[in-house]
Amino acid sequence: MAGKDGKEVAACLKVTHLNKAFTGLEVIKDWHMQVENGARVVLLGPSGAGKTTFLRMIAGLDSPDSGEIQVGTDKVAFVFQEPRLIPWRSVRDNLLFVNPRAEVETILAQLRLEGFADYYPAQLSGGMQQRVNLARALAVEPDLLIMDEAFSSLDLPVRMNIMEDLLQQWERKHFTIVSVTHDLKEALFLATRILLLSGRPAQIVEDIAIDQHPGSDWTDLPRLQQEAWLLKKLLAADHPE
Amino acid sequence: MKSLGRFLGGVLLFFLIWHLAAMLLQTSIILPAPYQVLKVLAELLRDPLTGVAALQTVWKVFLALALVLALGLFLGIGLGTSPALYEMMRPLIMVIQAVPVVSWLSLVIFAWGIGWRGPVFIAFMSLLPIALLTTVSGVKNLDRKLLEVARVYRVPRRQVIKDIYLGALVPFMFAVVDVSIGQAWKVILVAEYLCGNSGLGVEILSARFDFDIPRVYAFTLLAVTLGILTERGIKRWLERTAKKWQPA
Repeated sequence: MAGKDGKEVAACLKVTHLNKAFTGLEVIKDWHMQVENGARVVLLGPSGAGKTTFLRMIAGLDSPDSGEIQVGTDKVAFVFQEPRLIPWRSVRDNLLFVNPRAEVETILAQLRLEGFADYYPAQLSGGMQQRVNLARALAVEPDLLIMDEAFSSLDLPVRMNIMEDLLQQWERKHFTIVSVTHDLKEALFLATRILLLSGRPAQIVEDIAIDQHPGSDWTDLPRLQQEAWLLKKLLAADHPE
Repeated sequence: MKSLGRFLGGVLLFFLIWHLAAMLLQTSIILPAPYQVLKVLAELLRDPLTGVAALQTVWKVFLALALVLALGLFLGIGLGTSPALYEMMRPLIMVIQAVPVVSWLSLVIFAWGIGWRGPVFIAFMSLLPIALLTTVSGVKNLDRKLLEVARVYRVPRRQVIKDIYLGALVPFMFAVVDVSIGQAWKVILVAEYLCGNSGLGVEILSARFDFDIPRVYAFTLLAVTLGILTERGIKRWLERTAKKWQPA
């Protein structure tokens, strides 16, 4: 797969020696990672751990101070934390804005938004606006879907609902997902792999493959115990001994 | 309904004050009584030439506004997206803003003589700075987050201008129309009076030459009424258009 700079990359995303600081404040310190095609990677860390900054750098909205980010595709979509829909355009036009050939009705139906194509964002609830945000991302048929705490503002049932729909789409198309969150439930629900981040300056302190966790009984553990285990790891990462 | 009642009450109050002032002054050369003026106005309205004169003024007002909006938007987006260019052009905009109508008048009489182009040009030059500065301020206040969406999805520049810039600038254009329409009427009438060959301004001039003061007032009343009607009509249309974008 050819990267933005023309180099061959084996994975959908490859990060090497990544560093970023804001006015002297070190935010990201020496990150390395490789994300395979079709993986669902969640970066889990405390606030201020550079999660959003990292996603913005993948999307080309910010540049690293040093290091390299290789994105193996041009078809990148970003589900922002807030919907960022064009208020004066209908749901249909918001999707057509990013892809004039998008199959609007099909995408909306897949995300339980049938009949809302001609609505304006202000006429929709917060949850529905966020669904449209996701629909817009899927309208470009992405190879890489970036999500920045995309569902954090929604209440739990709505959040789970949207994530279920997202996973259904993933089952069909197997795009790569790179998502950040500080929510354990969301991370466990969505990820095939979780990268734990330390506090500032953030470093990747643990790389947990959820579906191949050592101890094999991991997937059988009750969800609450998984969360407790993850929380312990997160606290240890944020406050190392 | 309530606001219409208050509006009509205001109109009645205006006529009452006018009537009292005319009674006090007792000179129809300076201030004729309202009933005299309304009588002349009724006669004028029966004359098809009055309608022609009114239409000639109305189309000039709309042409000037359309030109101001089109060019103000086009140049304003350019200046708003380029701070360096804006700093360079700002003195010129301020000069245009400060030039008095009479100076434009001399210029257009030399350039085109008497005709429709002078009034339209003068109104255009008087209103352009407002449209430009308002558009620039609209571009500067544009939601950067929407532009980031366009960047992430690699939306072509032309589409970004059409879907984001123009959409975001619509409320600012509403404000320009709101502020400009009254001024456009005034400037066009003055310019017609001084360098026009048709329209209500010319009719006022001709009435003045005849020392027919009630006719001067009648044409003025007609111009004011048309000005108010067009202003209210456009405002209502703009409000209705903008309503669906407002949060529920």
